[in-house]
Amino acid sequence: MEMFIQTLVAGILIGGVYALIGLGMTLIMGVMRIINLAHGQLMMVAMYITFVLYEFLGLDPYYSLLIAPPLLFLLGAAIQKYFLNPLLKIDSVIPQNQILMTVGVGIVLTETIRFIFHSDYKSVKTSYSSSTFMIGSISWNVPMVVAFGLAVLLTACLFFFLLKTDTGKSVRATAQNKDAAMVMGINAEWITQLTYGLGAAMAAAGGTLLLPIYYLFPDVGAPFTLKAFIITVLGGLGSTVGAIFGGLVLGVAESLGATYISMALKDAFGMVIFVLVLVFLPGGLKTLTKV
Amino acid sequence: MKRRQTFVVLGLLALLVIFPLAIGSDYYRHIFIIALMWVVIGSSWNLLAGYTGQISFGHAIFFGVGAYSAGICTTKLGISAWWGMLLGGPMAMLAGLFLGWICFRLRGSYFNLATLAIAEVFRLVAIYWKDLTEGMQGILIITTFRSKIPYYFLALGLAALCVFSISLIIKSKWGFYFIAIREDQDAAEALGISSFRYKRLSVMVSSFFTGLAGAFYMNYMGFIDPEVVFSLYFISIMAILVAIIGGAGTIFGPPVGAFIMVLLQELFRSSFFGYAPKWVSNAHALAFGLLVILVIRFMANGVVGDLPKIKALLLGDKPPPSVASEN
Amino acid sequence: MKKYCGIALGLTLAIFLLGACERPPESAKVGIILPGTGEKAKFGEIEKKSFEMALEEINAAGGINGKKLEFLYEDDTGRPDVARAAAEKLLTKEGVVMLGGGYGSSETFAIAGVAQQDRVPFLVSTGSDNKITERKWDYVFRLNQPVSDYSKALESFLTDIVKPQKVAILYENTNFGSSGSKTFQETCERLKFQVVMNEGYQSGGVDFKPLLVKVKQANPDVVYMVSYLMDASLIMKQSMELQLSPKVFVGGGAGFTLPEFGQNAGKAGELVYSATLWYQTLPYPGAKEYYEKFIQKYKMDTEYHGAEGYSSAYVIADALKRAKTLSPEDVRESLTGTDLMTVFGPVKFVAYEKMTNQNKLPTYLVQWINGKLEMVWPKETATKPYVYPIDWEKVWK
Repeated sequence: MEMFIQTLVAGILIGGVYALIGLGMTLIMGVMRIINLAHGQLMMVAMYITFVLYEFLGLDPYYSLLIAPPLLFLLGAAIQKYFLNPLLKIDSVIPQNQILMTVGVGIVLTETIRFIFHSDYKSVKTSYSSSTFMIGSISWNVPMVVAFGLAVLLTACLFFFLLKTDTGKSVRATAQNKDAAMVMGINAEWITQLTYGLGAAMAAAGGTLLLPIYYLFPDVGAPFTLKAFIITVLGGLGSTVGAIFGGLVLGVAESLGATYISMALKDAFGMVIFVLVLVFLPGGLKTLTKV
Repeated sequence: MKRRQTFVVLGLLALLVIFPLAIGSDYYRHIFIIALMWVVIGSSWNLLAGYTGQISFGHAIFFGVGAYSAGICTTKLGISAWWGMLLGGPMAMLAGLFLGWICFRLRGSYFNLATLAIAEVFRLVAIYWKDLTEGMQGILIITTFRSKIPYYFLALGLAALCVFSISLIIKSKWGFYFIAIREDQDAAEALGISSFRYKRLSVMVSSFFTGLAGAFYMNYMGFIDPEVVFSLYFISIMAILVAIIGGAGTIFGPPVGAFIMVLLQELFRSSFFGYAPKWVSNAHALAFGLLVILVIRFMANGVVGDLPKIKALLLGDKPPPSVASEN
Repeated sequence: MKKYCGIALGLTLAIFLLGACERPPESAKVGIILPGTGEKAKFGEIEKKSFEMALEEINAAGGINGKKLEFLYEDDTGRPDVARAAAEKLLTKEGVVMLGGGYGSSETFAIAGVAQQDRVPFLVSTGSDNKITERKWDYVFRLNQPVSDYSKALESFLTDIVKPQKVAILYENTNFGSSGSKTFQETCERLKFQVVMNEGYQSGGVDFKPLLVKVKQANPDVVYMVSYLMDASLIMKQSMELQLSPKVFVGGGAGFTLPEFGQNAGKAGELVYSATLWYQTLPYPGAKEYYEKFIQKYKMDTEYHGAEGYSSAYVIADALKRAKTLSPEDVRESLTGTDLMTVFGPVKFVAYEKMTNQNKLPTYLVQWINGKLEMVWPKETATKPYVYPIDWEKVWK
């Protein structure tokens, strides 16, 4: 029983961070209908920024939460404006060239970082990196708990933004029906830039929170891009609540699968869930509710 | 135009035939062999994606299945890996049918992601089903020929066969159906074209040739492991780029794209064959990424697709207004 | 259109022909293939620097009978297909007389295949999968111990001191990890220890807790881990978090002996044991000097991988000096007659168990004590007494 609870706890905590990353992607997918294959790489850039701030300014990663996400927001908006938006005007045989553009952007980001920092593994060693507290016989890793808490907080902020502010409502409107939104006077182009920036910022936050727990190298982004997909599809394209559940479900499934079946196949579980959802529940968890 | 085209093609073919005999270095022969292999993979992807509109992000499945079919011939069946050339195609076709059965009901982004995910599953299975695949230790065989020349001509033959077959298919009724499905699947269905049937046919041909390429790879390189042959970036995405840079939806796009991609990559990896400073080699992946961005941004229809545009640019004329793809 | 095609084609061919012209050799060229980028880059760096250091010394002492020895380095990026292509490039384009290096087992295996097929000698310095020298490939020689020997020192430590009943094995899913765990399982079965768990994991994981929770449940006396650097640190840190306390933690070399492990794992790495192939205090001439010179020259630590590289360079030079001519067959012949003392130990290629052209050397056990890696077993060569039994609560406070 203890093993089960410990595993569940581990799954939920990591699920919180996953959810944050997934949220970013679902926003982008919902509004722009683009699969952002550079999502993990954006997260990676944020992690390097956090790392540099820590190494050279001694700034604790949690403070970087105020710096890295805004920077990535700007980067994301720029990418959307200069690389992705122009593609909408080109007529081509393959409509999916937006995805490929994100592939290119992702590669450029990874390789530029590699050029600057080389492929060495870097890590941030804070005083609390490995500290845990015990509740009964279950061990709770402090940075993971903090990450989870902050992830919840950021998600709440996002919700507030989307539901209560005008800009947020414009984002949702554009997601539901771009043309109608434009007719209503919403500047769709600007909204898409904002959304991509926002998505990037969320990924950045996830990365910053992850840095004390994990380690850093230029290729760290790719697996997270895949996870973000799984979460997005699981939750339903464009559904923010879905992404949250998706993140938690993925975290828990990986955790339980690793313990009870095999750690080796951990990544496979995500993939299999992904395919099952695509086939049997194409709309994602969203279709089970009405959000 | 047709006549001139045939002459150009035959001329290039002749050059390709003479190439390995004229150039003595194995290093350059190797580059061309790899390029020819990518002609096959790129053309196959193009058939499924460029012509039939099913943009697969998981073509590595077929390559890997073909490669492992050949490899397992040696490790488990005790026969030469060359039998894999006969087995690889059909085995990959089975994988193609499997993929189609799961994914063809999906559209757009969902289809893309599903193919990507299934390719990853295949990769993970190859890693963990050690009894079948030797897992991460990979399969290593001693290649039959020490000289590269037999492999070169085999690759050339495969590439020619593949491109020729696909061009025949495109010009036939199947070709029309494929394109109809690509343009508007629902309209095609309304006209009585069974999209499932033709998508299935398309993936069967596509996977067959890619599987052959995989079996060839096993025999030529002598070593495979799951990370190499089921790789997302180095096989699946490379296939997409080859076709797009050359020109998706055209017959000669993928062959052109294959040579461009392979030559450019090697150009950078070797620092322009040693004539450029060392750091250029380290930046080869970066150059690759930049290339992708530039091509997608400015030449989305590829070299062949945007040929009029390129011609105009080189000749200094005004570029033509919009681009039509070769149907 | 034809005109432009023609010009483009002509230009391309011209570049090729230019590059295809070869220059005659003025020095003895040997190709060294190591990981320069990627996950194993750190090890590759240590080995490359060691090769370079040895090369300087060799050439300063007269090179190969007066001729300069030259090492041409290629980066296999940690991937076997790149390793293979690098080997082919060195052989065909550069015309090297033999190959050296080989870090990752998959990469080494691929290079060995090329070497054997093209009949050019290859001296392996690190790749440890037994299979590499079990194929009866007469052109492939290995300086370092095979992975099945890695835990030999550990064996006597376990049977004499720890006397465990239950063992859990964790390994990274790479060639090195799979082969290392397999051979250790066989060892345990032979010594009649019960293997309660033998599980692989995908490297690059964030969270090993699910796996470690299972280990804790199984309550083993020994936890044996085979992994490269980053996973090693994370596993130890997370074991500490879960308060997983077997009698001993033992690493199977690689990640566990790197100086960075001590830094990254911090107190979670304290008192962890590891198998190792070499240590600077061993009574081999030049061992200590190599260690100190390296640290002084490069301002970084070295360990057994570096020693492997350094010694390989000397074995290569020795073989080339004794060879009748620099043709591959003669170099191969010369290698078989190697009988040289190096900083890594005596080098002589023999056949044992299923292997051929394999150098036979003992292995040792080290332990992290107060943040420093100390040799603790066998007792005769120990620099510090081993710490056992271990009070984990005190260590992790």
